[in-house]
Amino acid sequence: MAESAINQGNDTLIWNFKLLAHNALDGFGGMGEGMSMQLAKDGRRILWLAHESAPKNFTAVDVTDPRAPKIVARADLPQSHMRSNSLETVGDILAVAYQTTQPGLEPAGFELFDISVPENPRRIAFFDRSGPNSRGVHQLWFADGETIHMSSGAPDSHPTHPKDDQFYQCIDVRNPSKPVEVGRWWLPGTQQGDNVAPPIRHPEGTDSGFRPHNTNVYPERPDRVYMGYIDGGMITLDIADRAHPKMIARWDYHPPNVGFTHTVVPFFERDLLVVSDECTRNDGADWPKLVWIVDNRTEENPVPIATCPMPPVETFSRRGGRFGAHNLWENLPKEGCWKSDRIVLGTFFNGGLRAYDLSNPYQPKEVAYFAPQVANAPTGACQINDVFVDDRGIVFCVDRHIGGLYALEMDF
Amino acid sequence: MPIGDCCRLSPAASTELFAGTDASPFGRRQRRPRGARIPVTVVTGFLGSGKTTLIRELLATPEGANTAIVINEYGEIGIDDALLRASSDATVLLGNGCVCCTVRTDLQESLRTLFADRLRGAVPSFQRVVIETSGLADPGPVLQTFASDRALGQEFHLQALVTVVDAPGGAGNLARMPEARHQVALADRIVLTKTDLADATEMAALTERIRQLSAAPIATASHGAIDPGFLLDEGLDLPTRLANHPHDHAHAHSDGIDSFALFFDEKLPWPVFEQAMAVLTALRGPDLLRVKGLVAVAGVRGPVVIHAVQHVAHRPVELEAWPDDDRRSRLVFITRNLTRQSVEQLIAAVAGIGQP
Repeated sequence: MAESAINQGNDTLIWNFKLLAHNALDGFGGMGEGMSMQLAKDGRRILWLAHESAPKNFTAVDVTDPRAPKIVARADLPQSHMRSNSLETVGDILAVAYQTTQPGLEPAGFELFDISVPENPRRIAFFDRSGPNSRGVHQLWFADGETIHMSSGAPDSHPTHPKDDQFYQCIDVRNPSKPVEVGRWWLPGTQQGDNVAPPIRHPEGTDSGFRPHNTNVYPERPDRVYMGYIDGGMITLDIADRAHPKMIARWDYHPPNVGFTHTVVPFFERDLLVVSDECTRNDGADWPKLVWIVDNRTEENPVPIATCPMPPVETFSRRGGRFGAHNLWENLPKEGCWKSDRIVLGTFFNGGLRAYDLSNPYQPKEVAYFAPQVANAPTGACQINDVFVDDRGIVFCVDRHIGGLYALEMDF
Repeated sequence: MPIGDCCRLSPAASTELFAGTDASPFGRRQRRPRGARIPVTVVTGFLGSGKTTLIRELLATPEGANTAIVINEYGEIGIDDALLRASSDATVLLGNGCVCCTVRTDLQESLRTLFADRLRGAVPSFQRVVIETSGLADPGPVLQTFASDRALGQEFHLQALVTVVDAPGGAGNLARMPEARHQVALADRIVLTKTDLADATEMAALTERIRQLSAAPIATASHGAIDPGFLLDEGLDLPTRLANHPHDHAHAHSDGIDSFALFFDEKLPWPVFEQAMAVLTALRGPDLLRVKGLVAVAGVRGPVVIHAVQHVAHRPVELEAWPDDDRRSRLVFITRNLTRQSVEQLIAAVAGIGQP
C-alpha cells in the first residue's frame, strides 16, 4: 500500500515549500551542480546554471520575478566528450569548470567570462589544466573575486591511480585575463614520488577516487579549506600559507560506508560542520548516503553527532534513479545569498529537496520537502541535484536529467 | 504539563552547547506560530449543527485537498464509496489526497498513527488535519492534547477551534446546554449554518447571544460552503478579538464566562510573565479557559506566541517579526469568574516584585 499511496495521481510531494514557478529550460533541463546568482548592474537577478552534460554548457535565467523565470542566455560546449557541471559568478565575472570524459582530452580547465551584459557572455581567459593524466576541473569555488579554489587535474600530474587524478588547487585570478596557480595539495600517496603508500582502494564498483569534490573557503576563516574528499572522507586544510597547504583534520567513515564525501559546510559560530555524501548508484545500491552533523569544537578531531533523517529507503529506493544525499546550500559568502546556521537545505535526487531544522544539532528535524513529479523522467522519478537560496528567501533547485529549474518559497 | 514546566526559558543543555551568538531561548525563530508543524483544525458543535456537511464541502474545494480527517464515529462523515481508494483498520484513503481516520481508542493514538503512516509513506502526505468532535464533547481536552502530549505538540499545531452553530437549533442549545455555551466561548472562529431556515429576527437574536459569549470572528456557511481560509488559515482571530475588545472594556458574559484583552506597553521579563501565569494556573487553572496572544519579552528580538488552555500551555514560540507596527504585548483571556482587573493586578504585582 505504501507505494501505491505515494505514486497515486500527481506524484509531487510537497511540504512547507510553495512552488512559485517551474521552467523546463526548453527541453535542456538536465542540470549539474553549478548555480550562481548575478546581481546585474541593471537591477536584474540572473541565475547562472551549469548543465549536467553535453551538448549544453550553461544557461542564464532572469529570476528577478521568481514566479516568471526567463532564459536570457545559453552556451554550447565545444565538443561532446566533456561537461561543465560547476560554475560560479562574482560581480560580472563568470567562472566555468570544464572536465573531459577521459584524460588527455581538451579543453580541460576553467574559462572566465565577462557577463556585464548577461545576454552576451564574452570570454576573458581560459586556464588550461589539460594533460596526459588530467580530466581538468570537476568543481570550483569562487566567492571573493580574487581566488578560485578547485578540484582539478594538472598538466604535470602523475597520479598513483588514474581515478585520483584531481587534487586541490588554489588559483589567483585578481588579473582575470591571466590566472596563476599559487598552491596545491593532494592526499599523500595519491601522486607518484610521495613518501607514503597509496591509499587502499575501495572495492571494485564503488571506487570513485581519492580526490576533492567541493573545496569551500569562507571569509570567517580565509585560512581554511573545507573539502569533501570523495573516497577519502572529509578533510580540513590550513592554507594560511597558500603555497604550502597543510592537512589539519581528516574524518573518514569508509568503510563501512560506501565512499563519496561531497560537501562540507561550516557553521562557524556554532562549531559545527554539515557534511554531505553523494549517492552515485541507482535503486539504493550505495545506501546509506547521508547528511552528517559534525562537532568541530576541536577542529583536529571532528566528531559526528547526528545525521539528518531521511524518508524511508524501502519506498524511495524503488521510486527510480538515485536516492540519497548530494548537494547542500553552502551559505555562499556573497551578496544576494541567504545565510542560516539553523536551517540546512539539501538535495537528495528522487528524495527531492529537503530542509532540516538544526536548532538541536543532536536531533536534526525535517521541516520541509519538495519532490516534483517530472514528466518523462528517464529513471521514473525526479533527480533533484543542486540548490541555491537567495537573500529574498527564494529557493531554486534543479533536476539532473530533464526537469529543469524550480523556484520555491520557504514556508516554515 | 504545568505552564511552569513547558514555558521554561532555559534552553536545553544539548542546544546550549552549539547555540552560537544568535540563538533564541525559544528555539528557532519562526515565520509563523505553527512553524513547520502540521496544522490542525478542530470542528465542534452540537449534533445536527452541520459539522459533517461543512467538512465534506471543504474536502471538495482545491484548498481542502490533502486533508486528513479524524472523526469520532465511523461513517459519520458520509463518505462516498466512489472516493474510496484503499482501507486499513481505521484509516480510509479518500480522493483528492485526503485520508479519513476513525478514532477507535483515543485521539492521541490516532494522531500518532497518522503521523507515523505519513512519515513512512503509508498514507498520502497530507497537509493538515481536521478533527470532528462528537456533538456533546467539551473541546477543552482536545485543545489540551497538543500541549500536554509533548510528542504530538512537536508535530501538530492547533490552528483553530471552529464551533458550528445552526440557526434553527442554536438558540435552544445555547439556552439549555452548558456544553453548547462552552463550545462557543472557547471557539477561535464560529460558523453559522442553515441560516435559510431562520428569519431575520431569529438570526439577530442568535448572533447577539453568540456575541455575549464570544468575541471570535463569525462567518456564515451556505449548505456547508464557506471560504476555506476561514477554517484553515492561521492567525485569523487575534486581530478580530483585539478589535472587539476596547482596552478598557471587559465583555460581560453568561455562566461567569468573560473574555478580555490585556496590553502591556513595556517589555516583560520572561520570569515575571512565567511566574504570574504559574500563580494564575495553580490557583484558577480550571477557570482559565484560554489565553493567547503575543508577548514582548525583555531581551528577546521577536514576539513570543502564548497559548494556554486551562492549566496547560503550548510551547512558546518566538516569531521572526511582529505582524504589524504595534510592539506591545497583547493577550486575550477567556475566563470563568475571573476578572480582567484581578489578572492585570496579578501581573503588575509580580512585575513589581520582579523589578526592584
